[in-house]
Amino acid sequence: MKYASLKKSDLNDWLKHLQKKAKLYAPRKKENLFVFRPVKEVEDVCLEYIPTILPPKKYYFPQKEKLLKFSSQPFKTAKAIEKFDEFILFGVHTCDIAGIQCMDVAFRDAPEDPNYLNRKDKMTIIGIECLKYCDEYANCTSMGNHVPRGGYDLMMVDIGEKFIIHINSEKGERLVTKLDYIKEASEADMNALERVREAKKKIFKEEFTAALPKVYDAFDKRFASDVWKDVGRRCVACGNCTAVCPTCYCFDTADDMELSLNEGIRYRIWNSCQMDDFAKVAGGEDFRKGRDGRQRHRYYRKFKYPVDKYNRYFCTGCGRCTRTCMADISLIETVNSLLKEEAL
Amino acid sequence: MKKQSKPRVAFFDFTDCEGCQLQFANMGQTFLELTNLVDIVSFREIMSEEGQDYDIAIVEGSITTDNDVTRIKKIREKAKVLVAFGSCATIAGVNGIKNRSSLELAKKRVYGDKAGTINSIKAMPLDAVVKVDYYILNCPPYIPEIIAVLKAILMGKPYPLPNYAVCVECKMNENVCRYEKDQECMGPVTRAGCNSWCINNGNRCYGCRGLVEKPASDAAKDILQKYGLKVEDILNSFTLYNDSMGEKYDQELK
Repeated sequence: MKYASLKKSDLNDWLKHLQKKAKLYAPRKKENLFVFRPVKEVEDVCLEYIPTILPPKKYYFPQKEKLLKFSSQPFKTAKAIEKFDEFILFGVHTCDIAGIQCMDVAFRDAPEDPNYLNRKDKMTIIGIECLKYCDEYANCTSMGNHVPRGGYDLMMVDIGEKFIIHINSEKGERLVTKLDYIKEASEADMNALERVREAKKKIFKEEFTAALPKVYDAFDKRFASDVWKDVGRRCVACGNCTAVCPTCYCFDTADDMELSLNEGIRYRIWNSCQMDDFAKVAGGEDFRKGRDGRQRHRYYRKFKYPVDKYNRYFCTGCGRCTRTCMADISLIETVNSLLKEEAL
Repeated sequence: MKKQSKPRVAFFDFTDCEGCQLQFANMGQTFLELTNLVDIVSFREIMSEEGQDYDIAIVEGSITTDNDVTRIKKIREKAKVLVAFGSCATIAGVNGIKNRSSLELAKKRVYGDKAGTINSIKAMPLDAVVKVDYYILNCPPYIPEIIAVLKAILMGKPYPLPNYAVCVECKMNENVCRYEKDQECMGPVTRAGCNSWCINNGNRCYGCRGLVEKPASDAAKDILQKYGLKVEDILNSFTLYNDSMGEKYDQELK
């Protein structure tokens, strides 16, 4: 079976079924925004949502993660987490799936990151395709992430009364078979899917004023642009943009002793190039003193450096950095300003 | 092997509400564990005995009289390690509001016609008078940070204060931004380390930890504009806890 169909009225039954299979995480409302949370009541799951405050990254690259436990007398070390549990990320947007693909590339690069890979092994991704824009901040079309491009186990598309489910892995297939309310998609279902995708083409338009290769060129040539000075002047260095980014993977490591002062843990914690002393080294030299340089670095980490290194853009188009920015710095505006300057 | 004697800890307070010390009493079980590592020789909120010899002085409150200056210098002479404890001791705290008007006016407001008989000086954090070895920020201090600093002292390690905004921790905690809820919040310019304690509990940040080292005042103005807030609103909060910075930002923002 390649495509299955699920009546919307049966969605909650399926969610209850998934709850039994593994730890289930899904989007739900938090005040006027949305967050991924463990599913307690299936009724709380919300599939019509704008990107969550934090991407689901927190489940495969947690904010603060134990790495080692140790004791000093006698000196001993051991893995802090012995076993990772199976979990399902439900209702993930295609932009966030692209984020997971980026993380895969970065964390599989030698030396491989065992904590990430062990978690990834236990992860099942059930996506949902967006049929309209979440808001004006997203640039998913320019990044090509407004449509599913792999990286998931199952992908749901809302065709009205039903969801069409694309089955993309064996792991995914096991979650939709032997259930009387999930059937193989009929020809009519597939035609409906086709119509939905056609309608979508009229809604999603490239947000950047030029295609990605031109964006790359603009970044290549505009390192000294005034655009960065302007962005730097407005930046308040709150670090929101990097905290919410699905592809920011920087972390710091530190040790934390128990009160016994003998045993302790080594943990890692998200860190960000937007912090004042991120690029400071022993001796006090700081390689990126200004906010302009630090903001520029963030952008280059999405549109230039990973393209050179991994042949992949690390912006997913989710729009979170713009949505969360205290100072109204817009990614679309920044990139388009750079493109405009380059065209002059 | 002969068991080393435990470092002796004494608590002192200057101008403040003594709520910081209460955080030790609020620790519960952890406080008992701490007594395995240190001997508490003086702590008037929880014990009657008072020892005069100590290694670590944990001092809360601001310096606001000439007598305070003499007293803190004596404590400094005796203590091997001096810890400034809480907002009043580290950044002058709420007491700093006094410095916003002339000393004469401040005295008159509080003491009326008796103002002339009162000795009072500018409200100052401890490090304006003596060298401070460790800082425990916050009003009142955040218990996990108290523990972290104490562990650093006992291991003889420095405790570097984070120099990034509360927003960093607040985002990690996935709170809905207070600005999204039409409240002004000091998070973007306040030094982190409290794990966004107030916002996690539905409140907003009042800046009790003082500002990050290089707050972007231009950008702060942009934020105010974006959310349609008045400079006065933010100044009231900026200066609730911190005068020296408050005075400066008062001018810069205006």
